Amino acid sequence: MPNSLLTTLRTLWESLLDRLFFLPPFPDSIDSLALFSLLLVLGLLIGEWLHKHAGWPKVIGYVIAGIVFGPSLLGWIDVEALAQARPIADAALGLLMLEVGRRLDLGWLRRNPQLLRSTLADIGLSFNLIFLFAYAVVGLSPAWAAATAAVTMASAPAVVLLTIEELKAQGQVTERIILHTAISSAASFIAFAIVLGIVHAEHSADWLNALAHPLWVAGGAFLLALACSGLALFISRSLPKRSLAQVFILIACAMLAVGIARMLAVPVFLTLFLTGVLLAARDHHQSLRYTELPEGHWLLAIVLFVIIGASLPWQEFGWLSGMQALGLLVVRAAAKIGALFWSGGSLAPDKRLLVGVGIQPLSATAVFMVYEIAALYPEVGRSALTLPLFAAALMELAGPALCRLALIRAGECANDGKTSGGIA
Amino acid sequence: MNSKALEDFRDSAALSLGVELELQLVSLRDFDLTRGATDLLDSLKYDGKYGEIKLEITESMIEVSTQPQTTVDGIAADLEGLRATLKSHCQSNNIGLCGGGTHPFHHWPERRICPGERFDSLYQRYGYLAKQFTVFGQHIHVGCTNADDAIWLTQALGVYVPAFVALSASSPFVDGVDSFFQSARLNAVSAFPLSGQCPPLNDWQAFTEHFAFLQACGIAQSIKDLYWDVRPKPEFGTVEIRVCDTPLDIAKASSLAALAQSLSRWLLRTRPALDTARQAHVARYNKFQACRYGLAAHISDPLALNQSNLRNTLVDLLETLRDDARELGCDHWLESLRQEIADNRSDAAWLRAGHAQHSNLNDVVRMTSERLLQASPMPSSKSS
Repeated sequence: MPNSLLTTLRTLWESLLDRLFFLPPFPDSIDSLALFSLLLVLGLLIGEWLHKHAGWPKVIGYVIAGIVFGPSLLGWIDVEALAQARPIADAALGLLMLEVGRRLDLGWLRRNPQLLRSTLADIGLSFNLIFLFAYAVVGLSPAWAAATAAVTMASAPAVVLLTIEELKAQGQVTERIILHTAISSAASFIAFAIVLGIVHAEHSADWLNALAHPLWVAGGAFLLALACSGLALFISRSLPKRSLAQVFILIACAMLAVGIARMLAVPVFLTLFLTGVLLAARDHHQSLRYTELPEGHWLLAIVLFVIIGASLPWQEFGWLSGMQALGLLVVRAAAKIGALFWSGGSLAPDKRLLVGVGIQPLSATAVFMVYEIAALYPEVGRSALTLPLFAAALMELAGPALCRLALIRAGECANDGKTSGGIA
Repeated sequence: MNSKALEDFRDSAALSLGVELELQLVSLRDFDLTRGATDLLDSLKYDGKYGEIKLEITESMIEVSTQPQTTVDGIAADLEGLRATLKSHCQSNNIGLCGGGTHPFHHWPERRICPGERFDSLYQRYGYLAKQFTVFGQHIHVGCTNADDAIWLTQALGVYVPAFVALSASSPFVDGVDSFFQSARLNAVSAFPLSGQCPPLNDWQAFTEHFAFLQACGIAQSIKDLYWDVRPKPEFGTVEIRVCDTPLDIAKASSLAALAQSLSRWLLRTRPALDTARQAHVARYNKFQACRYGLAAHISDPLALNQSNLRNTLVDLLETLRDDARELGCDHWLESLRQEIADNRSDAAWLRAGHAQHSNLNDVVRMTSERLLQASPMPSSKSS
């Protein structure tokens, strides 16, 4: 908000304080609820406008709202406001990760070995080619090159899920995009935990950190997920299936996991992903299998993407880092599309190509992982991780469009274009 | 309107059989219908050994049809082969396969019309009815040696439509609620303008004249537009019974084929007198009774001018057909129908029991899918 207007308002307010004793002191920061509402309205308006007038995915509009009103441009959302909104972002990302975890069907890989082969090819090629690019072309150290590969190798679960929901897509391409996204996320989280140890080994004087931190992250997330999923299943077993009470229990247990993960400095996205996986795997009585998150999680998702847009340090990006980020994205795209196209599978080649395009988004979890690693050694981490952050920033804008394109080309969206005869 | 000339009736082996089953494609996550038929068929490597696997009107349906067979055992073997082929292919694509006449809780606007000129034209013509036509039936073809016999048999089988409806009924749930019907599927079919009964016709000549009349009025283009309960199928040389719900397992589908074959033999052999004009007055009422109440229906007899309980009528009919079924080698298939009637069992009752047990329809579809995917125990010919 323009400072002159704020100063005038403050002066006027303070002059009234003596006479109007009921007035509180001039508020120094915006209330959390008011901030949440503002982010929601801003994101919603820009997302809807772009969707209506340009046919862009709404997610891009939310990110643009964050970029425009964030510290990089207008500065209406400042760094303090971003820190204040972080719990909302964690809750939103947590719920989306929970949903992706619940949708991870490892049984499908067992029933379709060709799918397992293409999944392994995607993970292996993506990590190795990005690592080689970051190490050999950009010149990062092995530890930071591995960190770059770990955070950018996976597709973006939040973007993929929201794009699929927006288009009401259904079909083999959609299902495979979800599966590859979930599995590459899992692989990325494992790589992330290992990379934490490598970064500590390279920079920390105490070797214990190199062992203990990855264990704390992975073990902590797993134990917390085990406890929260067990609690949710235990309580929901006594409630009617698909009831509102079950929805509340699911959300409450997810928020409990988010809160404890934040308290213990365990990554929220990893904890909630594992909670989702364990909820699906341990639900032998189908207690929560059919219980869906309410449409309201879109509200949190809008705020999440506005915050991500605002968190991206656009002012730190230069031409060189921009070219390097583009290079990384080209290598990553080649790895993913190549892996999906050449490693076979029971889908027609053109559809496999579309799956490769659909899993291009790179987003929220990557940004948060970058900040988690960078926070360990701020003096070197922030500059070393400009590359994945810039790549994530570019993909915040291009990723949803690519995912949308793949789903539309696959003909799997709810609107089938046959409007002349039907009413739907 | 592009009208298609009526094909000549291709004579086929007497009482040969063919069965078509429309099956549900469901998501393994929540057991709602899913879209996947085109992808499933595109990636299917199958030599056609047991018959055809093809698209139906929406992406959530798939149709299997057996090879022409002379025996019910042959039909059962084909259906089992088709079931096993689809099971394996669906598993590798993470799609569930399910029997039953309706999906209990799908939301029809979410259905997608399959690509193809015919499907597109149906959607243009019928609008939302085409999407609501995502219901699942069993069609049974009975071979006839000549066209006149086919028309006679079409009329004669019309009287037994309630029997086929009641025995196959497996669609009690629609839009997530209990419809109180045993077969709610046929309500979706009856919205189409050319559904219902074949009008009283004496022979093939009368049928061709009637069809030419419909074409001239611009009502029908091809014989596929006639959604009659029983209709002649000239290109196959058969009479097609179209009122059955898709049963929950393959064995029941074979038993219904056995009923069609032995009933057709008995009718063609004994040639009972038909009064199709009078039957036409009660046909809709009788079909409604069978759809609504199943075996407990009260069926009107326009000749005797009374009503009879369908269960009792069926017990007598199955006893009457015993000799013909033995001659055809399919009495062991009828035995399971006799037992079902005696035990007061039905697919609709099984679905309702599942709902009572689980209190939700997702689990009902899960159980139904598991039931179809298990190989059905086939009755032994020695047991009858």
